[in-house]
Amino acid sequence: MKCGWQEKINLYVDGELEPAAQQLFAGHLQECVNCSDLVMEQELLKKAVRLAGKRFSAPPQLYADVRRQIHPETRERSWLQWGLAAVCLLLVIALGVSRLSPLRGEDSTVAQLVDQHVTMLASANPVDVISSNKHVVKPWYQGKLPFTFNPPELAADSPFTLVGGRMVYAQHAPGAELVYQIRQHKLSVFIFQAKDVHGQPSATNHAFTVKGWQQGGLQYYVITDAGKQDTDTLQSLLEEANRS
Amino acid sequence: MAAIVISRGDVSGLDNKDFEKLALPLLDGLYNFACWLSGDADEAHDLVQETFLKALKGFASFRSGTNFRAWMFRILRNTFLTSRTGLERRNTAQQDEQGFEDSVISPDTPELAMLRRADTQLVQTAIAGLSPVFREVILLADMQEMRYQEIAETLDIPIGTVMSRLARARKQVRDQIIAAVGSKKVIGIRS
Repeated sequence: MKCGWQEKINLYVDGELEPAAQQLFAGHLQECVNCSDLVMEQELLKKAVRLAGKRFSAPPQLYADVRRQIHPETRERSWLQWGLAAVCLLLVIALGVSRLSPLRGEDSTVAQLVDQHVTMLASANPVDVISSNKHVVKPWYQGKLPFTFNPPELAADSPFTLVGGRMVYAQHAPGAELVYQIRQHKLSVFIFQAKDVHGQPSATNHAFTVKGWQQGGLQYYVITDAGKQDTDTLQSLLEEANRS
Repeated sequence: MAAIVISRGDVSGLDNKDFEKLALPLLDGLYNFACWLSGDADEAHDLVQETFLKALKGFASFRSGTNFRAWMFRILRNTFLTSRTGLERRNTAQQDEQGFEDSVISPDTPELAMLRRADTQLVQTAIAGLSPVFREVILLADMQEMRYQEIAETLDIPIGTVMSRLARARKQVRDQIIAAVGSKKVIGIRS
């Protein structure tokens, strides 16, 4: 028999019920398996559409075009003004470059990856494929990466949980970011082809634990705010899973 | 994103800078929506530019008490609907909307596990497969996180229609995902 509340599932999931009705419905969910299944399904669907719907990002050129529309006077600037501005900018950059010691390639790569890790931590949608099942996460990368890898098989009592994965880019090369969790800490595992991205992270300048190693032509990095011991354990699991 | 509603007293004296402050944060969402509507990046670029141009021109006479975001999205959608692609899609949309059956999801097949396995690309394919009237409503609700009232204002349709279209759109996306994940399972696309 169809439950009378079922017609209100979308309203409930979208927060469109009156507060009292919302509360009543929440109470009903405690005792109606059908409705709670359907609510969970609709919430999953909403989340999936939200993630998938954000597919296109406005190109910088569009921002520039729209800004010019809003402030048409900026078009009037003469070429001379733009030329002078460009020369000044070049001078400033040249001065800056000459005064600052350049970052070594590997340090700047690791800095980029640390930024990616922090972005992931701050994001409401940290991963593109959400699953604790490696058999779901690994195939998601098929056709997206020019290489393959094995996420470790986690034992039932393993302290690590696979959260999911997403695509990342460093040094213009595509790579995978697998996100694991241990207690309240998230760990990012970055995997690239070693010919594109490589180098050992330096021990300084990072508020995070950063570990890097190469195996089977791939460069791995683990970045986390968890301790070194947890990082070492995850490294061992990854090395074991990818041993040929 | 919370709705921006400009009260009567605020409207007079608003200039281009105020418009920029209000409108520019919406640009990415408008462009994304335009891409989904038109299916073409260049056309979406033009649609967004035209939307900003029209909105800027109309900003002085912007009706007080109106939801600014809904107003911007409405301009974009109307601009699209009067474009060549929009007119073609509108005819398709009217045909698609006829003859829909039960919009309530059957409790017999929750298939939660299959939904959990859906990856982004699969969901995007399911969204792209919707007819425009359903696609726009599900994107505004779930991606832009608009309230039903705001969607009704944007699309210029009654709230009841928003609700029924949303239910149908979700059902179609769900069914398509489950069918696709199910077929993957059958042919064994696993690591």
